[in-house]
Amino acid sequence: MTPSGDPRLLVHAYVDGELDPAHALEVERQLAADPSLAAERERIEALRRAIAQQLPRESAPPGLARRVEAALGLRPARTASHPSWTRAASHPSWRALAASVAVAAFLGSGATWLVLSPGPGDADMIVGNHLRALMAPQPVDVGSSDQHTVKPWFSGRIPEAPRVVDLSSEGFPLVGGRIDVVGRTPVPTLVYRHRQHLISLSALPLGRAAPIPPEQIAGYNIVSWTENGLAYWAVSDLAAADLNAFAKAFRTAGQS
Amino acid sequence: MASLKSEDDQARFARVVTPHLADAYALARWLTGNRADAEDVVQEACLRAFRGIAGFAGVNARAWVLTIVRHAAYTWLGKNRSAALLVVDDLESIEQQQAKGGGASGEGPQTPEAALIAKADARRLEAAITDLPVLFRETLVLRDVQGLDYREIAEVTKVPIGTVMSRLARARRRLMERVATDEAKGG
Repeated sequence: MTPSGDPRLLVHAYVDGELDPAHALEVERQLAADPSLAAERERIEALRRAIAQQLPRESAPPGLARRVEAALGLRPARTASHPSWTRAASHPSWRALAASVAVAAFLGSGATWLVLSPGPGDADMIVGNHLRALMAPQPVDVGSSDQHTVKPWFSGRIPEAPRVVDLSSEGFPLVGGRIDVVGRTPVPTLVYRHRQHLISLSALPLGRAAPIPPEQIAGYNIVSWTENGLAYWAVSDLAAADLNAFAKAFRTAGQS
Repeated sequence: MASLKSEDDQARFARVVTPHLADAYALARWLTGNRADAEDVVQEACLRAFRGIAGFAGVNARAWVLTIVRHAAYTWLGKNRSAALLVVDDLESIEQQQAKGGGASGEGPQTPEAALIAKADARRLEAAITDLPVLFRETLVLRDVQGLDYREIAEVTKVPIGTVMSRLARARRRLMERVATDEAKGG
C-alpha cells in the first residue's frame, strides 16, 4: 500500500482495511486528533453500510450459465438438480473433504495432538486455511449467526467443541464455523464478519501451536492468545487494530 | 469452432469462469445500465474467456474474469453509448487539475451527516451510482458492491493502486453529496 500524504484518502484505505498496521495506527492517531477527519470516517462507513444493506450482491439471472454454455457450444448443462449451477463446481468436493475430516476427528480422538510437536509452519497453515475458506464457495461448513446452532455442530464432529460467542453488538457478527486441519490436527474454526471482512478464529490445543506475537503473513494479520488451555489464532485481512479489537471482544465475552 | 476445443478447456471454463458469472453479470449491469445488455456483454466476455482460457495463469480467477467483462463492456459502450466514454477523459483531467490546485479538495460544498447517508434507500443509491462517470462507478462498484480489494481493482481496471484509491474516494464523495442534495429536495 503506497501511503499518500492526504489523510482524507488514507481514511478510505483505513476503512477498507487496506493499510498495514503501522499506517493504520498513524491514521488512528489522526482520527483521534481531528474531529473533521473522524466525521469523514463515519460518513464513509455509513455509505458503505448503506450500500451493503440496500444493494446486496445479486445472483446471476436464472439460466444464464445454461445460455452461456449453449452459446459456446459446450455440453448441455450437466445437472438439472443443482438450482445454482454456478456453485456446483467445487462444492461437492469440499463437502466430501469436510466429511472425511469429521471421520478423522472421531478416529483420532484426544491423544493424537499430544504427540505432535509445535511446528514453526503452523502460522502458515492457519493462514492457508483462511485463504482456502475465502476461495471456497462459502467460508463455513455450518452457516449460522446463532451460537446455539454452531456449537452443537462442532460437538458432533470433534472431541471438544470450542467456546462460541456472538459478538454482533461489538460489530463482529458470527457467520458460522468450520473444521480446519493444522498439521494432522482437526481444529474448530469460528468465522466472524466485520464489514466486508471475514475473520477466521481457530482454537488449537496448546501443545500444537504456541501463540506468537502479532504478525503479518502474506498480507494477513494474525493475532493469537492463550485461554483455558487452548491457543486461539485469529486471521483476517482486517487492519491490525480492528483485529486486536476483535480479540479483545472475544476474550471479554469469555469472562462474563 | 467451439466444438474443436478440447475437453480440458471445457473443464477449465467450468472451473475458472462459471463460478464468477454472478459477479460478471453484476459488473456488466452496472456498466451498461440494464439487464438485457448486461447479458449480451457477459455472453461476449465468456466467449473471449473461453478462447483465452488456456492463457489464464491461475492466480485470481475472479479478477481475470472481471477484467474480460470490463473489456467487453467498454467495447459495448464504445458502440452503443460512446458519449458515456467520451466525457471520462475530460473528467479525469479536471479532477486531477483540481487535486493539484486545491490542497483541501476533500471538503466539498455539502458535507452531509453520517446519519443522513445511512438513511439513503436502494432506489436513491442506485440512481446516484448510475449517474457516476464510468471510471468512478466501476471502482466504487468493484469495491463497495462486489467486495474486491484495492489490488484486485487495480488489476481489473489496469491502473495503479494510488489511482484506485483516489477514484474510490472521489466516487464516494460524489455519492455523499448527491445523497445530501436528494435529501434536501425531499425527493
